[in-house]
Amino acid sequence: MSEPSPALSAANVGKSFGGTAALDDFSMSIAAGEVRALVGGNGSGKSTFIKVLSGYHKPEPGAQIVIGGSPLSTGDPASSRRVGARFVHQELGLVDEETVLDNLAVANGYPTFGGTVRGKAARRAAAATLARVGLDIDPRVKLGQLTAAEKTGVALARTLDGIGAGQIKLLVLDEPTATLPAAEVRQVLQMVHTVADQGIGVLYVTHRLDEIFQLGATVTILRNGRHVVDGSSEKMTRADLVNYLVGSEFEDARDEADHTERIGSQVTFEVSHLRAGPLDDVSFSVAGGEIVGISGVTGSGRESIAGTLFGRERPTDGEVRVGDRPIRGGRPDESIKHGVAFLPADRKRESGLMNLTVRENLTVSSLREFWRAPLLLRRRERAETRSWFERLGIQPAGGWELPMTALSGGNQQKVLVAKWLRLEPSVLLLDEPTQGVDVGAKAEIHHQILTAASSGAAVIVASTDIDELVAICHRILILRHGQIAAELTGTQMTIAAVTEQTLISDGSALHLMSEA
Amino acid sequence: MDRTRFRIRLGLDRFSGLYLWAVFIIMFTIWTPLFFTTSTLHSIASGQAVAGILTIGLLIPLVAGVFDLSVGATANVSAIAAIQLQSVHHVSIPLAIVLAVGLGAVIGAVNGFLVVVFKINSFIATLAMGSVLAAVLTIFTNNEQPSPPASPTWTKLTEFQVGGFQIIFVYFLVIAIIAWWALEHTPAGRYLHVIGSNNEAARLSGVRVGKWVWISLISSGTIAGIAGVAFASLLGPSLTFGPSLLLPAFAAAFLGSTQLQPGRFNVWGSVIAIYVLATGIQGFQFVTGVQWLSDMFNGVALIAAVAFAGWRQRATANRRGPRRPSATADGDTADPPPDASAAAESPSRAALSPSE
Repeated sequence: MSEPSPALSAANVGKSFGGTAALDDFSMSIAAGEVRALVGGNGSGKSTFIKVLSGYHKPEPGAQIVIGGSPLSTGDPASSRRVGARFVHQELGLVDEETVLDNLAVANGYPTFGGTVRGKAARRAAAATLARVGLDIDPRVKLGQLTAAEKTGVALARTLDGIGAGQIKLLVLDEPTATLPAAEVRQVLQMVHTVADQGIGVLYVTHRLDEIFQLGATVTILRNGRHVVDGSSEKMTRADLVNYLVGSEFEDARDEADHTERIGSQVTFEVSHLRAGPLDDVSFSVAGGEIVGISGVTGSGRESIAGTLFGRERPTDGEVRVGDRPIRGGRPDESIKHGVAFLPADRKRESGLMNLTVRENLTVSSLREFWRAPLLLRRRERAETRSWFERLGIQPAGGWELPMTALSGGNQQKVLVAKWLRLEPSVLLLDEPTQGVDVGAKAEIHHQILTAASSGAAVIVASTDIDELVAICHRILILRHGQIAAELTGTQMTIAAVTEQTLISDGSALHLMSEA
Repeated sequence: MDRTRFRIRLGLDRFSGLYLWAVFIIMFTIWTPLFFTTSTLHSIASGQAVAGILTIGLLIPLVAGVFDLSVGATANVSAIAAIQLQSVHHVSIPLAIVLAVGLGAVIGAVNGFLVVVFKINSFIATLAMGSVLAAVLTIFTNNEQPSPPASPTWTKLTEFQVGGFQIIFVYFLVIAIIAWWALEHTPAGRYLHVIGSNNEAARLSGVRVGKWVWISLISSGTIAGIAGVAFASLLGPSLTFGPSLLLPAFAAAFLGSTQLQPGRFNVWGSVIAIYVLATGIQGFQFVTGVQWLSDMFNGVALIAAVAFAGWRQRATANRRGPRRPSATADGDTADPPPDASAAAESPSRAALSPSE
């Protein structure tokens, strides 16, 4: 247990992508048996660091990473495994339809006798594995019947099992509780401690501030790829944490947002008592000319709210209205006729027609205006497309007959934004409008959103990019467990405040913290 | 990118079918004196017309990513219906044609119902429908070939000569032109392409996916009905011709999707494919006289076309940027986009957004 060499000692780790440093001379160490929380905001470099540890990213020369006393040969996933590093990701990689036993054995093999699975021995081995994380469940149960926390436990147990299990020094958990209800988080944290007590160092990446206090762990804070501070959670307050996370760069450039004139239009977008999927009794309204941001962790309903408001499916209950016209739901064509536009987050699956031309992507939602029987006027389509290429600076210039796949992500997104702006919608619903988009395109899309609002559209932006929300929105709603938990406007709307409001799980978690 | 443009100009990619056609013609002309004659031209042209019409029918739902495997069976049912209506029920020729083609439309509508309302995979629904239709055919004919209608007008309908060609070839061309117009120059056709490209994106763009899929299946059923009536007029009653035309039709449609507008099912590409295949088959038949050629040719062509289309798609994707290795120890989920500027940004997206 009391091994002298630390579980992890990393020094001078740097990594840049295309000239931008994601990690800059980062160092940290974790003792054997220690639980260390790693926290950081958007773009802080957390994920990059994990990927360096796993051997997926090769850091810049000069990095020294030693895991459990053995140096990691960087950029080599096999080496990472050999020296005893294991990873549990948010996507657990388990199959709900199979039993716990099968889920464990898929990775690590069954005990067999002449090719036949030895059932009883397999069950015994599985139970022993589960015990290592403190789980007492029947391995014959279907995984789907377990709670989310128990599933996480199975995934944890699985990484501890199998070949070289005795040599595991470092366990990296990447936001294991991101999609868990608050009540189950505690069980996961207990399992984490059970694992650490076996002498394994745990690197616990999280975005939930409450957990840091519940874990009672040391915290390492990353910002802009740099190590900010190490500190004991017992000595820090929540305010300290938030301060370290966002730094002092409070005054973000929202000049344009502040200086854009708002034309009050007649149309108001009204949502009353909406229930659908994770959304649980959501009510709010957005006036024409207003940009409302929606923030929330995954599972809060943030990822589905824009689509629900658009009426991609029929809601369970409640109502959405554009002015006095209700959106029935389940009929996107009718929603569009009522002046609602929706830009989905997933470009490839739900938004782009990737193998069709840029022109066809741009005109699909209003083809009728190019139809003069007996022909669809391609020349007019092209002229229209060209004007949008110019307005949004879509590259490559003149590429309207190229297939969508030939454009970069940022330009694809510009095309899809243009597709909706063309319709001059009175309600514009945007889900992660700048996800996976380069900096230039991001600025252009923000500019277009502001322009749309200033010409009278009610705009709703759901985003995980809090900087983005703070930069362009007039008002930000915080979703928690499918409900609007807070609303920030005016001077309250700082990155720090929005971050804090977004990351707090709920009151009960705070309560647990004081217990622990 | 430059290399791509160069290749397109040469057209080895888009026009490979035409090149192959020229090679066939030159090769067989040298090889056998039987080949390069007007009678070969006429027989290939009209000999492929029924298969061609069926291919066009198949193509319409295929553009929307929907399979209609029942077109062969539908054509057969319509053919027998057209004949029995005349010889058993003494219905006039025009009415018999309308009813037989209408039957095709009804079958298409039922397919549409299964696919759109019951949400059965089109592949399964139409495969099953083909089997049901085969049973229906046996029920109504007792598995006995009905006698062909006596009226000479009936056969004249397709055999009437226009400039040496049987008029059925003209029918085929007219149907091809209408389908080309509908698929490429109307909103309806565009919607089908959009649905075929991305079903959910189409729906979220306001395209009535169900409606258009249904319409596409009614179209394929109707056109299959026309193909059936044409066959019955040209070659008389047959209880088995339909299903045997299905594979050649698919081969032509898929081979056609590698031609002219690669990656897109298109009418003229398919027409070229039909005649390239027919020319090859006819030529080799002259030279070798063996019976298995067309089966072999069509089968190989279908495999080659689909393999080529897939390869081409992957090649285009690869040109655009290095793909990350699919199996990483890390198995991470935040996908760095291919371009460097966006990649620089991707860690930032991964950090606070657990959804990735």
